[in-house]
Amino acid sequence: MSAESDMEYSDNDGDDYDYYGEHEDCDMEVADRTKSDPEYFVFSCLKVEEVEKLLNESIELLSNSLQITPSLAKVALHAYEWNAQEIINKYKENANEVLVFSRVKPQVPSQSISSRSSCAVCASTPQLHKYSALACGHYFCNDCWAMHFEVQIMQGVSNTIRCMAQNCEVRAPEDFVLSHVTKPALRDRYQQFMFKDHVKSHPQLRFCPGPNCQWIFRAFIREGARRVECKGCESLTCFSCGAPHHAPTDCATIRQWLTKCADDSETANYISAHTKDCPKCQICIEKNGGCNHMQCGSCRHDFCWVCLGDWKAHGSEYYECSRYKEDPNLTTDSQHAQAREALKKYLHYYERWENHARSLKLEEQTLESLKSRINEKVMAGEGTWIDWQYLWDAAKLLKRCRYTLQYTYPYAYYMEVGPRKELFEYQQAQLEAEIENLSWKIERAETTHRGDLENQMDIAEKRRTTLLKDFLEFSSKSNNSSKV
Amino acid sequence: MANIAAKRIKREFKEIMKSEEVIGGSIKLGLVNENWTELKGEIAGPVDTPYEGGTFLLEIKVPETYPFNPPKIRFLTKIWHPNVSSVTGAICLDILKDQWAAALTLRTVLLSLQALLSAGEPNDPQDAVVAKQFRENPRLFTMTARHWTNVYAGGPNIVHECNSKVQRMLDMGIDEHQARVALSSYDWDLERATEQLFG
Repeated sequence: MSAESDMEYSDNDGDDYDYYGEHEDCDMEVADRTKSDPEYFVFSCLKVEEVEKLLNESIELLSNSLQITPSLAKVALHAYEWNAQEIINKYKENANEVLVFSRVKPQVPSQSISSRSSCAVCASTPQLHKYSALACGHYFCNDCWAMHFEVQIMQGVSNTIRCMAQNCEVRAPEDFVLSHVTKPALRDRYQQFMFKDHVKSHPQLRFCPGPNCQWIFRAFIREGARRVECKGCESLTCFSCGAPHHAPTDCATIRQWLTKCADDSETANYISAHTKDCPKCQICIEKNGGCNHMQCGSCRHDFCWVCLGDWKAHGSEYYECSRYKEDPNLTTDSQHAQAREALKKYLHYYERWENHARSLKLEEQTLESLKSRINEKVMAGEGTWIDWQYLWDAAKLLKRCRYTLQYTYPYAYYMEVGPRKELFEYQQAQLEAEIENLSWKIERAETTHRGDLENQMDIAEKRRTTLLKDFLEFSSKSNNSSKV
Repeated sequence: MANIAAKRIKREFKEIMKSEEVIGGSIKLGLVNENWTELKGEIAGPVDTPYEGGTFLLEIKVPETYPFNPPKIRFLTKIWHPNVSSVTGAICLDILKDQWAAALTLRTVLLSLQALLSAGEPNDPQDAVVAKQFRENPRLFTMTARHWTNVYAGGPNIVHECNSKVQRMLDMGIDEHQARVALSSYDWDLERATEQLFG
């Protein structure tokens, strides 16, 4: 909802909307969309038990084919990123090398095999059978091993607990640890950390980063922007890097951008305040809806929240407010002016990035109020939920489009000036214009015809897929060429 | 204090007293309290380094989980070294962090610290200002470290150039240590150091 939503609304596009009434066709298009969606990515969303089963299968396979303990198989799989076949091949070639690489055995046999007359850690002298050692032969008393494991587990270490000897890189496998740790709570904790560590070291798995979310993604490609959606918390994540999903921007660029924003956000926040003055009557306006098409509550001036220009100019195809114009006379200017220009450029992109992020949040609220509005209508006998479903779909599509739009800004910021950038910003501007149209129409759904809205949905989604297709393909191509 | 920790520290203490380093006077270890949770260490500046002739005091705190966790050690004596904070005395040394092993002892730690004074590791710095000078201006670094050793650690080598510059700032009414830090940080450029303090 925007501040002006209670104002009487005159539909700018009122004269030229068309009602096509193609409901059935629209349903088919929805089905088509998954196929033609350039972000489509095969993945599954697994529960902890399913992942445990998956991991256990690898462990079993390895321990059976090499005749080693499951505990040892776990250590090797962790070291070789769960590539069981690679381990089997290498093991048959040179078993010792695999064990050294997995840090089960020391690289060179230990020089100083510690005596079993007294424990070097606690200085006590237990009986001979109360000592144990890893493959490196560093004997310590069992009480000290137990204490060592307790301290390490409490610090969150699991797979990588080392021997207690100085400069010894040998790691303790699970069965050795568990044979010394008796407290049930500690054993549980150890196994939990172990599981987390296994998932993190597995190239096909990734924890959903949502707060307290228990789901785990599984996919087979781990490069480029890859969208996965959590079944539990519905958050969108990039499978490759674990950051929020960020197409068309690539993983390295989004990391760079997010770090930059974290560094500079204080200044940027200060400069891009939450309120702006109406460009016509200068009254102070707070934005409380996702739509960037503003109508001043006081003087009824229609303007764009982003550039403060007249909204009429945005109606045409050449919606320009997303395009940052580099000053051509800049090269001769002083360093100071260049620094200022760099900040200006950053702020241009940052403000738009932030603005769309805020709009997305506000549209969450719109979605909620839409739900209650539909409920009211259904209760009042004005159609059923199915009749109003299209509105709900429209709001969801709007969210998806704005999300992509938000992530076009970091991409544009790091792009070199040239025809590619011009094309990108042209497409970005078109997408932005259609999104604002859609947002405006959804917020005034009562006065918008269904056909008009669905038409608008279609246009916005097409703009989005065109942009993604052009630039996702381009970045995957450039990724491949850089590898050659 | 946990049983193992106290037992270990007592034994280490006994052994270190008999070691050749203590007898030779290059390291020392003393008790601070009765329950063995805090100790005081002392290392002599190694020969052929700017720290030569100085005595450096260390605060050693023994955690409850010793020796499964490393002791917490920092320099009490002010020192100009890339891996030691010139402000807090905090130390950046791998065996005091992730490379700690339960079989290591206070004696090995003190000897490692002495080795650290002989060979600083500027790529893993604790004090960025010192590390930068160490890399980019070794002559000034050596002079500064020697001066600090003379003033704070009782080293015998007086650096007249430094003393006179500190004196100039003292005459302006600046606190002595503050003046020394500013001058050391600005490569003994009197003008820039003053500017920084008054700016």
